[in-house]
Amino acid sequence: MGTLGWRSWLVCAGLMAAAWTAAGQTPPLYTKWVNYTTANGMPDEKVLAVTVDGERVWAGTESGLVLIENGRITRVFTPADGLANRVVTGIAVDKETGDVWISTFGGVSQYSGGTFKNYTNLTSGLANDIVYGIAVQGENIWAATTAGISRMNKRTGEWMIVSERVAPMHEPWSYGIAVGDKKVYFAVWGGGVLEYDIAANYWKPYTKPDDEMEMVLFKNQGLTHIIVSGVAWNPDTKMFWASTYFGLSGYDGRNWHNYLAMDSGLASDFINAAKSRGDDVWSCTDKGLSYLNYKTNTWVTYRPDGKTGRGEALIIAPDKKTKKVETATSLAHNYTINLDFQGKDIWVATARGLSHGMRESNKEGKSNERTTNGN
Amino acid sequence: MKVMAGGAGEKWGGGLLLVVLGAAGLLGMFAGARARAQGGAAPRTSAAGSEEPKYLTPVELKFSPDGSRLYVVCEDDGSLLVVDAREEKVIGKVRVGEKPRGLAVSPDGRSIYVSNEWSDTVTDIDAEKLEARRTLTAGWGPVGVTTDGTGKTLYVANSIGNDVSVVDLDSGAEMKRLAAWRSPHYVTLSRDGLRVYVSNVLPHLGPYDEPPVSELTVIDTKRQSVAERVLIPGALELRHIAEGRDAEGSYLLVPLLRPKNQAPLIQVAQGWIVTHGMAVVRPGRGVAPEDKPSTVNQVLLDDVDSYYAGADGAAVTPDGRYALVSSAEANVVSVIDTAKLERRIWEVGAEELPNRLDSAQTFVVRRLETGFNPTAVAVAPDGRRAYVVNRLDDSLTVLDLARLEVEGKIDLGGPKEISVLRRGERLFHDASFCYQGQFACATCHPDNHIDGVSWNLETPQLGRDRVANRTLRGIAEKAPYKWNGRNPDLETQCGARIAKYLFYSQGFNHEQLEELVTYIKSIPLPRNRHLAPSGELTPAQERGKAIFFKKGCDACHTPETHYTNKLTEDVGTANKYDTSGLFATPQLERVYEKPPYLHSGEALTLEEIWTTHNPEDKHGVTSDMTKEQLNDLIEFLRTL
Repeated sequence: MGTLGWRSWLVCAGLMAAAWTAAGQTPPLYTKWVNYTTANGMPDEKVLAVTVDGERVWAGTESGLVLIENGRITRVFTPADGLANRVVTGIAVDKETGDVWISTFGGVSQYSGGTFKNYTNLTSGLANDIVYGIAVQGENIWAATTAGISRMNKRTGEWMIVSERVAPMHEPWSYGIAVGDKKVYFAVWGGGVLEYDIAANYWKPYTKPDDEMEMVLFKNQGLTHIIVSGVAWNPDTKMFWASTYFGLSGYDGRNWHNYLAMDSGLASDFINAAKSRGDDVWSCTDKGLSYLNYKTNTWVTYRPDGKTGRGEALIIAPDKKTKKVETATSLAHNYTINLDFQGKDIWVATARGLSHGMRESNKEGKSNERTTNGN
Repeated sequence: MKVMAGGAGEKWGGGLLLVVLGAAGLLGMFAGARARAQGGAAPRTSAAGSEEPKYLTPVELKFSPDGSRLYVVCEDDGSLLVVDAREEKVIGKVRVGEKPRGLAVSPDGRSIYVSNEWSDTVTDIDAEKLEARRTLTAGWGPVGVTTDGTGKTLYVANSIGNDVSVVDLDSGAEMKRLAAWRSPHYVTLSRDGLRVYVSNVLPHLGPYDEPPVSELTVIDTKRQSVAERVLIPGALELRHIAEGRDAEGSYLLVPLLRPKNQAPLIQVAQGWIVTHGMAVVRPGRGVAPEDKPSTVNQVLLDDVDSYYAGADGAAVTPDGRYALVSSAEANVVSVIDTAKLERRIWEVGAEELPNRLDSAQTFVVRRLETGFNPTAVAVAPDGRRAYVVNRLDDSLTVLDLARLEVEGKIDLGGPKEISVLRRGERLFHDASFCYQGQFACATCHPDNHIDGVSWNLETPQLGRDRVANRTLRGIAEKAPYKWNGRNPDLETQCGARIAKYLFYSQGFNHEQLEELVTYIKSIPLPRNRHLAPSGELTPAQERGKAIFFKKGCDACHTPETHYTNKLTEDVGTANKYDTSGLFATPQLERVYEKPPYLHSGEALTLEEIWTTHNPEDKHGVTSDMTKEQLNDLIEFLRTL
């Protein structure tokens, strides 16, 4: 009978260690939160959008656009300053020019050199003034509106409208936009995800394979649901992630990866936005902020404890074991709406303020204060 | 070849003017036009059919870094001339693109960049060999151009595209476009190299019955992004930018026009309606506008009873003592004592100063006569002389800065014969026909185009009929003229009407009127940038074309006659100021270059013509159109 050579034992040990590590490892936790509310300068509690541009953090609220620099609110812009409308739903920074493009409920604003220039349905080729999302893609500005997708070429001034009349959209109500590699993705309420191939000028829809609105019959064979609230592109994994009102979907070009609250660590199926980088996938749900390490299938949900005011991070390992870590500070609210990254930090738009989440390196991988282990 | 002219510029038509003035006195007309001593009349060109002389039409000039050469861009000749600054003669010429306008010299002096407005390119020239190295692609209508302090990046102001190209000079590729607003023309690098300043000739689009606001765009050269948009209220036609320095730091001088376009033009007879001056801008300290925004003061260069129309070129002497500003329609350069200017700004409040006509006398120390249509000004690095481009003279005026007088002229070698067209163009740029020299045709039609504002023109009832300024490009076959179509030809438009209702003076005599009209008729339309060179329409443009005809737009905008039926129509666009609802059907060629729209300028974009100003479907039945259809229609209109 043969025996395993020392190399084989080494490989096995490594694999076991990896498995143990995967099962037991706590992902980096956000244990320190600083919140921005009306108490410290925000014009409104409800924050609909957040976009990071280096040291600057732009936040869109129901009462204006906010700029935060070095931890301080330095500017609040309202229609009195020239902003198209007080309700700011999306912000995109043109990395080339530094201009900030803002989607609002009154059209699109371009903030450049300290002044605003506005584009509305009446004054430009914008499809509709209710604009939910905005993105910059090369020479083009894309706007997701309730009457379709608008695209403006910055150089020629030409406007194009994409609606169910010219593209395979179930209906025109568009929520979010993500610019990928050579493609642009759109979240369409009731229409799934729409993919635009820039070079080929070709539209491709992604919808739910079972056509069921209340059930998921074919898991991982298409979008988990066609009511898509947002879409995000991960340049590292080359995947897009779609947040829906009925779960989270990820697509790598070949395979779908769908998650529901009932069979994953997702805090809720009602997701307002998704964001992803590296192995991290974030879902802004109505019951907390859910994090997924896509590789290890480890989940963490952050939410405030309504009674104590402190925060909690609920870790759900791949083997379903849970561990709860309590933190002194917390997310502003469990109803999370949007998210962006700033280095290792995250910024989270919630229904009751903007939250800045930080990892405390001396506490990474370790329990903080109290820890409870679940089953 | 230097011509010692003893300080007097070339003059013309003097005897004729005396006759005209005499006739004006007999008829009892206003004779308030500023009379200027004139020399003998220039010979006429030969009869129609003979070839027009090929004028140089110099428009911009810069020194080489060592001061040994002057580079002069010649618009009509399509060339760059090289002038030996010591010998004061032309020593070289390089062919560039179509209608060159702007000029930059690299910091090491080895490269010269010339923008070609009609080619949409920049010619890169080897300054040693005097050869074009390569042609760089720019945006639409490049005019002003400058390198950054390292000579590695080129900034190009695209006057039609309303943006600034940022070009990497190693690769020759455009890296990005920055939005300017509106019709950026002139570009200057700050002395510390941290900023590029861009002046915009046209104002922001805004309410037609409010004063204009213009913009000086400030670019951060480190980030290559727009750092600030300095708003200059009540002003138009920001031109060349000069940077000076005093104890407080840097400041900018930007020549401009201040129109009182809301006042009825009958006020010209009292003066102060069209004034000329400059903005004095203290750039903000920080890059972000929130740090410390730039501050703006404005001063007038006019005197109470004498105006200096067409403020254009600007330069500051190396020691900072004097600033020079050319008046392109008055054929004069004003020499400004900068210390006295600073005192004046300090003495009079910022709110009042822009409208004070008694400022110039406190800081203008000389008014020096130049040739026709002086534009750019450059001061030699040693500060001893300044040079002024005489655009319609094919010459440079040389100024002695020690004595503050005209030293002479440099003949650039253009034709000596002055044709009918050239005389007409000179008249177009001559404010002396207007009461107190307040404005010329070119004042309100910079680059033969629009000034972007609405005016309260002549009317029996003061304050009524506010109408948008119109372009003069390509209007030869588009009679009748005037917003109500009442002038059957340009002779009426530019003759009696101008004299009686705009200039409030005798105006042009018959011969001059003929020359002026000949010139105006010769002004071409620029190439359409929205139309593919092949003429093939895009799908959106094709759809728009179908809508244009299906909706019956061609009933009034007849394609065969430049998209106008040459009749007046009531399309329901009369506003509270209008005495009648009938307006001449405008021609639509190059409509994309001409906002605002409608007779009044109320529609700031093409979209607004139908989304906001056609509630009763009188301007075509358009209320049934989808937004997509409207976008397509507009795409087609842009191809005209």
